[in-house]
Amino acid sequence: MPNDSQPQLVNVQIDDVWHQFPKGTRLIEACEQAGSYVPRYCYHKKLSSPGNCRMCLIEMGMPKMGPDRKPILGPDGKPEINWMPRPQISCATDVSEGLGVRTISPLVEECRRGVMEFLLINHPLDCPICDQAGECRLQEFSVEYGRQDSRFLEHKVKKPKNVVLGPRVTLDDERCILCSRCIRFCKEIAHDDVLGFVDRGSHTTLTAHPGKRLENNYSLNTVDICPVGALTSSDFRFKMRVWFLKETNSFCTSCATGCNTIIGTREDVIYRQTPRENDAVNSTWMCDYGRLNFAYLERDRRLLEPMVRTENKLQPATWPHAIASAATQLKPYVGWQTAILASGRMTNEELWLAGRLAESLGVTLIDIVPRTGEADDILLSADRNPNTNGARLLRLASGSGTVLQQIKEAVWSGQIQALITLGENPLRCGITPEYLARLPVYVVLDLLANDATAQASVVLPSLGFAEKRGSMINGKGRLQRLNRAVRGPGEARDDWEILRDLVQAISGGNSESHARSGRLDTIEDVFRQMSEAVPEFAGLTLSRISDLGVQVLNGDGKPGNSAPEKMREREPEKQPQ
Amino acid sequence: MTTNVPPDLERKMDEQIGHYPSEQRRSASLPLLHLWQEHFGFISDAGVNWIATKLGLEPINIFELITFYPMLRQAPAGRKHLRVCRTLSCAMAGAYPLMENLARLTKIDREHQGAGMHNSVAVSPDGEYSIEFVECLASCGTAPVCMVDDVLYENVAPESAPELLGGSLSPGTQHPPPHPLERRLVFKNIGREGYTTDIDCYLQNGGYEQLKAAVKMTRAEIVNEVKTSGLRGRGGAGFPCGVKWVFIKPDEKKPVYLICNADESEPGTFKDRYIIHQDPHQLIEGILISCFALNVHTAYIYIRGEFPEGAKILARGIEEARAHHFLGRNALGIGFDVEIYLHRGAGAYICGEETGLIESLEGKRAYPRIKPPYFPAVLGLYMCPTIVNNVETLCHVKHIIAMGGAEYAMLGRPNNTGTRIVCVSGDVVRPGYFEIEVGAVTMGQLINEMAGGPKEGRKVKAVIPGGSSAKVLRADETFKLKNREISFDEIPMDFDTLAAVGSMAGSGGVIVLDDSRDMVWALNNINEFYAHESCGQCTPCREGSLWMKKITERMLAGGGVTQDPATLKNVADNIAGRTICAFGEACAWPTQSFVDKFPDDFAARAKKPVPPPLPPEYTAEELIAETEIPSVPLAHDPGWEKAGAAGTV
Repeated sequence: MPNDSQPQLVNVQIDDVWHQFPKGTRLIEACEQAGSYVPRYCYHKKLSSPGNCRMCLIEMGMPKMGPDRKPILGPDGKPEINWMPRPQISCATDVSEGLGVRTISPLVEECRRGVMEFLLINHPLDCPICDQAGECRLQEFSVEYGRQDSRFLEHKVKKPKNVVLGPRVTLDDERCILCSRCIRFCKEIAHDDVLGFVDRGSHTTLTAHPGKRLENNYSLNTVDICPVGALTSSDFRFKMRVWFLKETNSFCTSCATGCNTIIGTREDVIYRQTPRENDAVNSTWMCDYGRLNFAYLERDRRLLEPMVRTENKLQPATWPHAIASAATQLKPYVGWQTAILASGRMTNEELWLAGRLAESLGVTLIDIVPRTGEADDILLSADRNPNTNGARLLRLASGSGTVLQQIKEAVWSGQIQALITLGENPLRCGITPEYLARLPVYVVLDLLANDATAQASVVLPSLGFAEKRGSMINGKGRLQRLNRAVRGPGEARDDWEILRDLVQAISGGNSESHARSGRLDTIEDVFRQMSEAVPEFAGLTLSRISDLGVQVLNGDGKPGNSAPEKMREREPEKQPQ
Repeated sequence: MTTNVPPDLERKMDEQIGHYPSEQRRSASLPLLHLWQEHFGFISDAGVNWIATKLGLEPINIFELITFYPMLRQAPAGRKHLRVCRTLSCAMAGAYPLMENLARLTKIDREHQGAGMHNSVAVSPDGEYSIEFVECLASCGTAPVCMVDDVLYENVAPESAPELLGGSLSPGTQHPPPHPLERRLVFKNIGREGYTTDIDCYLQNGGYEQLKAAVKMTRAEIVNEVKTSGLRGRGGAGFPCGVKWVFIKPDEKKPVYLICNADESEPGTFKDRYIIHQDPHQLIEGILISCFALNVHTAYIYIRGEFPEGAKILARGIEEARAHHFLGRNALGIGFDVEIYLHRGAGAYICGEETGLIESLEGKRAYPRIKPPYFPAVLGLYMCPTIVNNVETLCHVKHIIAMGGAEYAMLGRPNNTGTRIVCVSGDVVRPGYFEIEVGAVTMGQLINEMAGGPKEGRKVKAVIPGGSSAKVLRADETFKLKNREISFDEIPMDFDTLAAVGSMAGSGGVIVLDDSRDMVWALNNINEFYAHESCGQCTPCREGSLWMKKITERMLAGGGVTQDPATLKNVADNIAGRTICAFGEACAWPTQSFVDKFPDDFAARAKKPVPPPLPPEYTAEELIAETEIPSVPLAHDPGWEKAGAAGTV
């Protein structure tokens, strides 16, 4: 019996070359791995295979068997192949020993040309006004495999257009090629069987039941997997041509799952976020809540320049002045008179420097603000902080919330004279304007202006997740890296730089840690300093974290989500009883 | 809106739900929809929701069905609902003039009222009548036919429309005595004077003796007899029945299901109709023998929705057989539990495809499954091993037990054993059914002697020998076989020769076209059938079948261009062999063969060098009215909202 670590390999001939694949590999995947990409519409590796688009037809053959029921070997010592006269789909078959495949042959080309023509005859061909243009399989395969001319002289079938399927998804039925990916996604992954086909034959139409809407928290994944422009994101449509988008690999910071993403931007504006495949985190999906949670980076309330309170009024200041002012105001107090409200949304590097800041001020009252919501059993975690694990590892999170309570009480009692909030609004944890009014010094590092920042002594505008680099540890203990997709607005500065400067201003640039680890010129330096102190990061650099992340903690026992290791791939419904 | 479902109706529904395994309640979707429609007249949104809730489904699951199966209506029909068959044999016999006359008499404007293919019910202004064109009603021998509610009227000449509406036409047909060239086994009692569907009548004629004999044999012995008999499936594919049965392992752990495919709907075929309507117990006995042989405890008869009378007759037959302990718990006292349940279709040809049938029986749209991996004998109904056999095939099982497999194999020809029922329709003097020894009768004998030959002054031009999907043969062709050349008239009516001459025996439906027929017109009629019946699951068939119909339609309307025949042929080539199920071939073969064999007919209608301008897609009024694109124009007929008290649920 082959064991799991060494799957049994089978020999498969693909376009005259023999390859080996682990048993259980889908043929269409095997072809792709062998460099013979097979075009497909309905097949999606994370969904069941209905075999309905017929785009992946290939020639297939089985080994010729001799009278002894053993394969007949050719002169090259490899089995001779008995080719089937009819083309076969490659999306519903697994590789098997001696299987032969031709993905390049006159028959295969003819099949693809035929299917392409069929798909296009009733398609509106409205690429100039279609959002999918540029990333449309219909366009791509048409160029690669289709005919040059049209033979269709009839009227096209008319279907509903501009159908609002739900709050976030808009459908154009005429563009739909009826591949059923969206239906299968809703049924198999989102567990919300809301889409279906009505009518029959060429009149078949995708729809939701009247009165029902595609409004589950995963609805926008249907837009991602729609191979054509039928399903479009109501948020993104008509905003930007996709070929103008710069793509940056990142991950979602809206909950502890940390779904891997691609951020699509142009000229420092974020247009969309789409999920990026990572089987250790999010398979190929992400939730709508996380996906659309980037607009706040462009809010009017964004803090754009450092400010210092002078004559009881917040006045714009230069960065050196703001930092110096903050340091000067903080320094007079001893450790027990100061508290730091850190955030589970901060990167490890920022948290590390927050720790150094606490050290330089002798602060012990430091915690992150918990942020929870309802979890689903798909991707969304109950822990809405993306980096609770990082904060724990760096000993900035109490986990119990008692420290927060202590801080609150100490502010009220007057024990705390100076409060530093790092990306958190103290109003959210019961530290109301009345509390804040009792503080002689209140230093704020944040993105958006709010009622609390209005009361600050010093405001230090920082950057959002898409505007900076840095690492976080998701709920399952995976270290992942944010990459900068856009530049921050105004004079807002990278959080780690603000914290570094603050630490240096307070400790006079000659602190012990500074001396120990050298200069912190780049965020890489911060990570290096951190990795020297934290064994879990040993041997890593920020750049060395791959786009798929690195497992640094044992994922078990951590609160939060149950991100699937690998989403269901095969025939969920048709499994034998 | 409140849904008031009477307790009696709900009780009937619960009974239907009981026909399926408890975890497979979805299977009861179609039965419940039928019950709902019978009671309320149509299926409202409330009905969709109610049934979905009842079965633990999402409303979309039910909505998908009512828009797939044409017999299910979202709007009320008239007090009398007329279904006129428009498929080839009926069309040749005058179905279109009949429809025109009916529409005129009932004042129904089909042009503007739901005349389209996919919303075809049109109601008269007084609500008295509704009429629709339907695809083949499987009574091609008595064309044209029309169903008034559940009753089939045969040989309805266009000029008898007033009598049909007035109720003075009487249903029923004459059954001529067997022709001397016939050899009747399965059809022995069809059309026999005094023979009824009662079990007593059946028992008096030696009924259920073979079942009693079979249960004394071992399972392996029965399977072996069927194998020895060489019986080939009579549904269309001609697959050896014994070979199919052997796929079921004797020590199978999962439940094994038997499904009788009574979804007879291949145009030109009308044999199962008579077995079901006149000799139901023969079928029930065949099913019970097969159940015993395959260790099946639950069998389903999937009967097409257009056989409501047949379903009633079979239901009564099953109850009679139960009363006689031929089925039920401990049937025949041998400790074998077996149940037969009826499952009615609702007007989808694709349900004749066995995996489409299984999906339909599971309560889904009848989308055929991909093979591999879903071979019914391995992963069939509810993912259990399943045998699907045609009505006639299962009846033959009874006769194989009676005669012994070896004796049965002496009938017919090697590899083409037994008898089979051939149905002749179209341009002949005496259309009808004939049970012949396979291969013992030639095409010439069948058409000229048995069916009375072409009508006076006419010559046979072409014959479709095995249901409308079989490739057409020219009457003036000669065919090269392995060792000899034969004329059209000399073709023996067996599986292998018909395959050798480039067509197939199929389901035994022989459609004759005489020299008055325009082959473009005939092909267009066939194309319309396949375009309407394509399930729409896979690309080539979904798009190609409608495209071919549009081309032939344009050619008929005078807009044919020179490249049309070549395009037609190539479109068909791009469908055949590239689809999930054999429907691809079924819809491509007619086009391939018609264009190939009758180039002159097609060239005559394809003379324009450039395509003519298309008729406008919208009327001027529509263009002005449509200032805004409707946002959710779902398949939702506003008609039912006007329904008033009768339609309120």
